[in-house]
Amino acid sequence: MTRRPPLIEINDLTVAYERQPAVHHLTGSFAPGSLTAIAGPNGAGKSTLLKTLVGLIRPSEGHINMNGLRRRQMAYLPQQAEIDRGFPISVADTVALGHWQNIGIWRAVTGPRWKSVADALEKVGLKGFENHPIAKLSVGQFQRVLFARLLVQDAAVILLDEPFAAIDERTTADLMKIIHYWHDNGRTIIAILHDMDEIKSSFPETLLMARELVGWGPTEAVLTEKNLYRARALSDNWAEANRHHHHHDGTI
Amino acid sequence: MDLYQHLFAPFADYGFMRRALVACLALALGSGPIGTFLVLRRMSLMGDAISHAILPGAAIGFLVAGLSLWAMSLGGLVVGLTVALLAGLISRVTDLREDASLAGFYLMSLAAGVLIVSLRGSNVDLLHVLFGSILSVNDQALLLVAGIASLTLIVLAVIYRPLVAECFDSGFLRAVAGHGSLYHVIFLVLVVLNLVAGFQALGTLMAVGLMMLPAAAARFWAIEVWSLTALSIAIAFVSGWSGLLISYNYDLPSGPAIILTAGSFYIASIVLGRHGSIRARFFPGTHFHAR
Amino acid sequence: MKKICSLLALALLTFASPALSAPLNVVASFSVLGDMVQEVGGQDITLSVLVGPDGDAHTFEPAPIDAKLLHNADLIVMNGLELEKWMEKLVRASGTKADILIASEGVTPRKMNEDGQTIPDPHAWQDLTNGVIYIRNIEGALAKADPSHADDYKANAARLLTKLGALDTWTRAEIATVPEAKRKVITTHDAFGYFGAAYGVTFLAPAGISTEAEATAGNLARLIDQIKQEKIKALFIENMSDPRLMDTIAHETGAEMGGELYSDALSAASGPAPTYPAMFENNVPKLVAAMKLN
Repeated sequence: MTRRPPLIEINDLTVAYERQPAVHHLTGSFAPGSLTAIAGPNGAGKSTLLKTLVGLIRPSEGHINMNGLRRRQMAYLPQQAEIDRGFPISVADTVALGHWQNIGIWRAVTGPRWKSVADALEKVGLKGFENHPIAKLSVGQFQRVLFARLLVQDAAVILLDEPFAAIDERTTADLMKIIHYWHDNGRTIIAILHDMDEIKSSFPETLLMARELVGWGPTEAVLTEKNLYRARALSDNWAEANRHHHHHDGTI
Repeated sequence: MDLYQHLFAPFADYGFMRRALVACLALALGSGPIGTFLVLRRMSLMGDAISHAILPGAAIGFLVAGLSLWAMSLGGLVVGLTVALLAGLISRVTDLREDASLAGFYLMSLAAGVLIVSLRGSNVDLLHVLFGSILSVNDQALLLVAGIASLTLIVLAVIYRPLVAECFDSGFLRAVAGHGSLYHVIFLVLVVLNLVAGFQALGTLMAVGLMMLPAAAARFWAIEVWSLTALSIAIAFVSGWSGLLISYNYDLPSGPAIILTAGSFYIASIVLGRHGSIRARFFPGTHFHAR
Repeated sequence: MKKICSLLALALLTFASPALSAPLNVVASFSVLGDMVQEVGGQDITLSVLVGPDGDAHTFEPAPIDAKLLHNADLIVMNGLELEKWMEKLVRASGTKADILIASEGVTPRKMNEDGQTIPDPHAWQDLTNGVIYIRNIEGALAKADPSHADDYKANAARLLTKLGALDTWTRAEIATVPEAKRKVITTHDAFGYFGAAYGVTFLAPAGISTEAEATAGNLARLIDQIKQEKIKALFIENMSDPRLMDTIAHETGAEMGGELYSDALSAASGPAPTYPAMFENNVPKLVAAMKLN
């Protein structure tokens, strides 16, 4: 297998919040066109890592090399909680926001762009839902809408934070198909997931972390009992260590 | 004809009634959309907070230039903007949420205002003098309100899409555009502008009341941003019209008459509205069937 | 022996004189009274005024310093006729032992209409003959509080009374130059009841007696109608309420602003009405000039 040069390189990355490192000395890379799952215990810094990749948080130490990848080529789906579900906006307008990079605040959403909105909605199984107010959607339906928006964004790199949290099986399966569609089209996908079975069945690469790197590579090699145990132990250790100062030489 | 007599005659006969009506229209056009967005962004109490916050600015303007509309408006504007932007800045940079941050600043501002007013020595009811009243809208005040309304409509038309995006999903906007805060700031500037203009022309009760009550009432009837805005404007203007007529016919103070009219629209909407009202909850009518 | 006696006498005098020459501490409730008291008391009193020039005695809110002033006073002079509704509470709070003079005692009070209620009209000083009564009351109170200077007070009062008498005559003469049908005026403050009754001028107002009443569209429209019917062109702003309301009326009826009248308070020392007589000297010519335009 030819090794292509990495798309996103992470060098000794530390991201701290009020002196607590959420991501601690992480090093590794994402290959272009890869389908990577990020796994780890709660509070392992996975969301923080994703936000740093997108540029919402600045690294405290270390460096991320994007190799020429620009922000407009990245699409990010945060956890649902931050969106105002009761807002009076239609499904179509929400999905159309995906065209933002191309139209900004001025240009109108033209015919072909509306068509791409309709196509995206059909792809996620919401054909005909254009004029529905989003307040009336179920959690699963709303997640489909967000995926439709991602489809419209047409980005080279797609980052997903817990896309299937609290979603029914049917929707999860349908949306997984979208992820495979992207992967088949050569896009790079990075997704934070909790369900180990899902990861093992669908994601060839995994990054396992508990603030620090535990394992990064082919899923079967990373998600071993030993690694999972180590991740949990690290996570407990950090909870303990929170009460003491942390020095790099291991002393307290 | 009796209807004409009741609805139109007072405005035809008296210049001050006409001016008051035009002022209501201008205020409705400017504050209606602003109020809609404030309600959508859950910033409904901001109007009240800003009305207290601008006091020191208006007081300083009065001390410097007497009863000059422009001096007091400018003073009020500067202080109001400072408070609003500082509150926003603090909430972004620290852990404090925006409402608590604003509360802190506007209270300090209000206290400063009271202090400045008392330093002047005389016991003139400065608060009464600093803010206008709808019955004494002069051409200057009308110009101010109309100008601000026009500016508001133009700016909102331009930043409509990012403003909606920022209200609805600010995380998306930040990830995709990077400068979501800019639109928030522009919006805050519009809020303070409309409030200050409203205070100067019509008084604090009227300005905040006509901004918030119609917007809150509209929520029970419309489910899209554009229709919410249109309905807010309509309710505000009709409230102004009716309130003025009530004040004329029944000898009641105009400001409160207008606000209570808007308030009755609000109550009616809570009870009878199409969406989310008491009627909708308890008397929903027959359910839909699949076609 | 003689030397000791004279020394003792000298010592007694030395001790006694400070008490003798200490000025009387007088507190007047508002600026008009303050001026009257100052004129009569002259150098023999130390005067403090609670509601200063351009202040509003109706809505005055006392501060702790005012209680202190009352506490240290020997004599308190107030208007009465329910002008100073806050005075009773303040007197109690200050715990003062001073005598309180109601300056309007002996005046025939007028009544007025406020919000449908008939209440006493406190602005008695707007009639100069009442002013005379005020001065006499003040003179009497000062003399009672400080008999050693009663002669001074009497002389000062007499001088002022002569002045007021001349002023009264002059006022009547000035107003006589205006035809009777034209003796009508509009002002925002309903403080000229006594003036109107004494000198034959009709005062109309858009709002009630105090500065708190809020205008209604109905009232305003009716007033505009009245002005147009009665063809009044004389408009005056009282120095406290919202001048913008007057602008509205002026705009609508073509009536003109006649300038500033002083009714409830004197102006600052640099202003046009720093004393009680000056108040009339300011008001009367303006009233007459404006009424002639009717």
